[in-house]
Amino acid sequence: MNYLLPERLERLSREYALGTLAGPARRRFERVLRQTPVGMRAVGAWQERLGGLAGAVPSMQPSESVWRRLEERLFPSARVAPRGPLQWLWGVLSVRALGGVLAGVFLCVALLRFQPGLIGMEPESDVLPQSYVGLLIDAAGKPTLLASSKRHGRLMTVKLLQPVAIPPGSVAQLWALPKDGSAAFPVGVVPGSGTGTVALADTSEKLFFNVSRLAVSIEAAPAKAGDKPSGDFVLSGHCVKLW
Amino acid sequence: MLTNEDLAALLPRVALGDRAAFEQVYRSACAHLLGVAFRILNNRERAEEVLQEAFMNVWHSAGGFDASVAGPMTWLINIVRNKAIDALRSGKTERASTLALDEEAMAVAADATQQPQALLERSLEKLRITGCMGELGAPQRQALALAYYRGMVHTEIAETLGAPLGTVKSWVKRGLDKLRACLEAAGIA
Repeated sequence: MNYLLPERLERLSREYALGTLAGPARRRFERVLRQTPVGMRAVGAWQERLGGLAGAVPSMQPSESVWRRLEERLFPSARVAPRGPLQWLWGVLSVRALGGVLAGVFLCVALLRFQPGLIGMEPESDVLPQSYVGLLIDAAGKPTLLASSKRHGRLMTVKLLQPVAIPPGSVAQLWALPKDGSAAFPVGVVPGSGTGTVALADTSEKLFFNVSRLAVSIEAAPAKAGDKPSGDFVLSGHCVKLW
Repeated sequence: MLTNEDLAALLPRVALGDRAAFEQVYRSACAHLLGVAFRILNNRERAEEVLQEAFMNVWHSAGGFDASVAGPMTWLINIVRNKAIDALRSGKTERASTLALDEEAMAVAADATQQPQALLERSLEKLRITGCMGELGAPQRQALALAYYRGMVHTEIAETLGAPLGTVKSWVKRGLDKLRACLEAAGIA
């Protein structure tokens, strides 16, 4: 069947968007849509027209468990909000993490047995996890963005200490500037306020080992690998490694 | 609730794996979207399942959002409606026909203002095209409302309204043609 005949495409798009196209015909048309931009546009136009019909549908607040289950399914390693005094511990201790903990305990026991002098050299509670940390300041020198990432982690946590104005349709793009002066590379998009998480392309150890500075520029769209900042940096600061 | 512009700015960030942006989109749109799914499924539990599945899609396919094809809210509504329609019709949810309506669905069923035709009238008022759409006969409007808000196919509408299938098909088509003409005349689409 030639789905691209204008009249046929119009009929199928209309019925697909409304929902009256059913059964195998609906599935077949979905497959066609994935390969035909003209079909996507025809369906999109009808969806836009019909979208107004949802305007008067009363809202219903979903239960919080919907969001919780989404988080659990999409980000299984995400720490679930503490529910009891020791609940957080079980959230953190996945089977793999438990293996790590046991290995750590073993190493610790071995060290204490053979190197007792190590005890007390540095109180453990004062030691920060090995990580990369960046504090970015604005043009007026005011601390604005705090970025941190565990050394072997693939996530960067970002906290805005004051809001950054991001014009509508633009994004705040975080860049890493290598210490050898080579070109900056994009890290991810950061929020204009509050806190956020940036998924890293690799572990921070690999990405930031040779990076001395981090900076943010305002871009029309999120930068891809190989892109360069289009304008001046609105924020910048040192990136340091904590041992 | 965030504006369409805000949502359009957040979705590219979701595509890059920005969880904070994803949560903002969810928090802002979830109540409206659950309402849409609930009209079709008539059961909160199943509507919430659909909402969850829809947002799994949003996370994985936010890169496919193209503002030049449809607005962000339209894009989200479309994902939820498609999921709800699939759930309504899929074999695994045959239980739908045997499942008792939950309390909320009973309340909605008993509330005249929540009936498909009332929802259509109020939506048309919001779009300011009530007068133009008024030129359409009541059966055409009813057929359109049952298809959109209840996810019914032509045969189900024919059964509900007690009209021949061919007639219902032409009512739905005329309803949509008129909607397009009215929106264009109002400069909306």
